[in-house]
Amino acid sequence: MTPLKRKSNYFAGVRSGLRNEPYLLINLIFAGVILLVFAYSGFFSPVKDNYPVVCIHEKLTGEPCISCGLSHSFSLILRGNISGAYEWNAYGPRVFIFFAGQLLMRIVFSVFYLKYPGSGKHLIVYDIIISAMFFLVAFLPFMERIFTQLIDVGLKS
Amino acid sequence: MEDFTASTSQPREPLPGQNPRLPAGQNLGIAALITAIVTFVLSVIPCVGIIAIVPGIIAIVLASIGLSQASKNDSPRGVLVAGLIIGAVATIIAFSQIFVAGKIGDKFEKEWGGEIENVIRDVQKNVFDELEDANVSIKVENGDEKVEIKVGEGKADRQKELEELEEANSGINDTLKKKE
Repeated sequence: MTPLKRKSNYFAGVRSGLRNEPYLLINLIFAGVILLVFAYSGFFSPVKDNYPVVCIHEKLTGEPCISCGLSHSFSLILRGNISGAYEWNAYGPRVFIFFAGQLLMRIVFSVFYLKYPGSGKHLIVYDIIISAMFFLVAFLPFMERIFTQLIDVGLKS
Repeated sequence: MEDFTASTSQPREPLPGQNPRLPAGQNLGIAALITAIVTFVLSVIPCVGIIAIVPGIIAIVLASIGLSQASKNDSPRGVLVAGLIIGAVATIIAFSQIFVAGKIGDKFEKEWGGEIENVIRDVQKNVFDELEDANVSIKVENGDEKVEIKVGEGKADRQKELEELEEANSGINDTLKKKE
């Protein structure tokens, strides 16, 4: 068998494996999405301030929101400027750790899933629980703000 | 909970020539779940929360189509239901952000809008009052010719000066020459 043929067989095997295993496919796609987020933060520079996404909340209300400066914060973390990242958005490093942790989790859980096929269901349950807790810890200030505003608006109207 | 990992206990390698296929609606379920989770993360970030409505609706539509396919073929629905629920919750959070932003915008306009208008009106009035008594001097130079208009007093003087200039120029049509 030629190396080229062996390689194509290998990719065909990976493709069919992914088709058979939705969990692996989901992990792969999430890892890709997280890498895209990091690529966005790495590509756009906080010095040039050339970010294409603007805060819709600020546009509508005229007031900066709790998540303003998150892109700057991510970019600065990727460039090693942690104190600058805190200045731009106090919650930036926390959210960044969530994304970085998720990327790591996608890789580790996929490897475990492949290595121990019998533990698939338990592994997914652990994944859901850990990810949900991780998400709550990282995004709690944002969720708190949204619900506080909703309650305020509800009480006033 | 629906066991969508049942395939782990089954042989993973498909038989030669066999095309491995997921149960009906399962591809849509995966797409819906991924879209729903991404939407959920987006919807809790106030900066981009409003945008999350679009992928939220897409997730709901995908999950609904998948569910209808799955119910026809009696396939597992775990992923589809998860996608539908997460998508629906994310869309509700995103919609709530429109509501909050709208209310804050209204409040801002009501409480601050009037004050801003008053400030602008005051500034305008001050500028006009200042200009009323200002010394205005306009100089026009065209080669050797020089024209200078000086107004040292109030508005009435400037109006008078302008009227005089208009009268003086009323008989002159310097843009068209009469044919001889």
